[in-house]
Amino acid sequence: MKLEEAKKTRIIKNAFLSLLLYALPLVLMFATFYFTGQRPWEKKKQVQKTAQPASKTKSENP
Amino acid sequence: MIELIKKVIDNLNGYGFSVLVLVLGVLEFSFGLYKKRWTKNERWVDIACFTIPKLIVKPVIAYYGLKVLPSILPGFKNAFDWVPFFWGFIIIAVADDLTQYWYHRLHHEVPWLWRFHRTHHSASYMGMAMASRQNVIYTLFFSQTYLTTALVYLGLGIPAIVVKGIKGTITTLAHSSIPWDKPFYQYKVLHPLAWVLERTISTPATHHAHHAATTDDGVGYYKGNFGNMFFLWDVIFGTAHISRQYPKAYGISHYEGDQWYAQLLWPIFKSKVPGSELAADGQMVREDVPLQEHQLYRAEKQESVEQEISEETYNLQPVKA
Repeated sequence: MKLEEAKKTRIIKNAFLSLLLYALPLVLMFATFYFTGQRPWEKKKQVQKTAQPASKTKSENP
Repeated sequence: MIELIKKVIDNLNGYGFSVLVLVLGVLEFSFGLYKKRWTKNERWVDIACFTIPKLIVKPVIAYYGLKVLPSILPGFKNAFDWVPFFWGFIIIAVADDLTQYWYHRLHHEVPWLWRFHRTHHSASYMGMAMASRQNVIYTLFFSQTYLTTALVYLGLGIPAIVVKGIKGTITTLAHSSIPWDKPFYQYKVLHPLAWVLERTISTPATHHAHHAATTDDGVGYYKGNFGNMFFLWDVIFGTAHISRQYPKAYGISHYEGDQWYAQLLWPIFKSKVPGSELAADGQMVREDVPLQEHQLYRAEKQESVEQEISEETYNLQPVKA
């Protein structure tokens, strides 16, 4: 029993549309960041930077 | 406020979800919604499918998340934990549910995949246990589980918990034999809300239509309504059928009670029912057969008595006193 040709075509068409749907939340998120000027990934970097010297001081002065 | 919602859903995802399933199960039995269709064989199928796959699949997922992903993507653990909760929620909800839509749809549309999903459709009743009535291989290859686990590894753990709680609730209620959506169709004031609801999430009416024993009869539609949490995918891809009614019969028209082990572990174990799709010499996909009286879950409506049309015209005269 084989997959009908019409069904196959519809699956392929819908799969391409799905790729757009998968990407949509990411596109909308970055568009929001662009228009609002938010840069949440930089906050994480800052936290990491401030955390690093503290750990060094600890190891130097136990 | 968001913290409070997260806590509520976190609880729902833990013991809360178990309570929901238990309460629903008790209600379904109390109202006799299985209509004496829960035979010994069906009980075994439901209980085996509810318990055994969990013992196999959960360790596999844990190994994938804790061992496989760190070795494939060593520098990416929590790399995206800066993604705000709102966007993390949307990303997980779309990625998880759209992937499940495709997994489900392909098992209906690609003939050789059908028998891995058949167990989910074989029962002649609906109920909360139906959500986990699956062949173990179908559950093991649930592609959305692996995608979501990868997103959790990347740092979207909290949104994933929230999505899981909401999704579990919606799918359990959509499979339940309690038609909670009925008031939305009965009262005119609720119709606009019903219009939005039935196009957004799976409801008993749309999902029961997917589990119908018949298709293209105006109510039953097992060729579509594949959405799990969101029904929106069916609307977008043109696989939706909305009738606001519940099917007259559930299951598979030619089902004759395949053994629980064959339903749980096909193709490792085969059915002994002659002619079954799960039998050793079974057809990949069998054609529907006409339904018999005992297969009907809801009695068919009596057809209205036709008005007698007389061919002759009568000229009635007033009766003389």
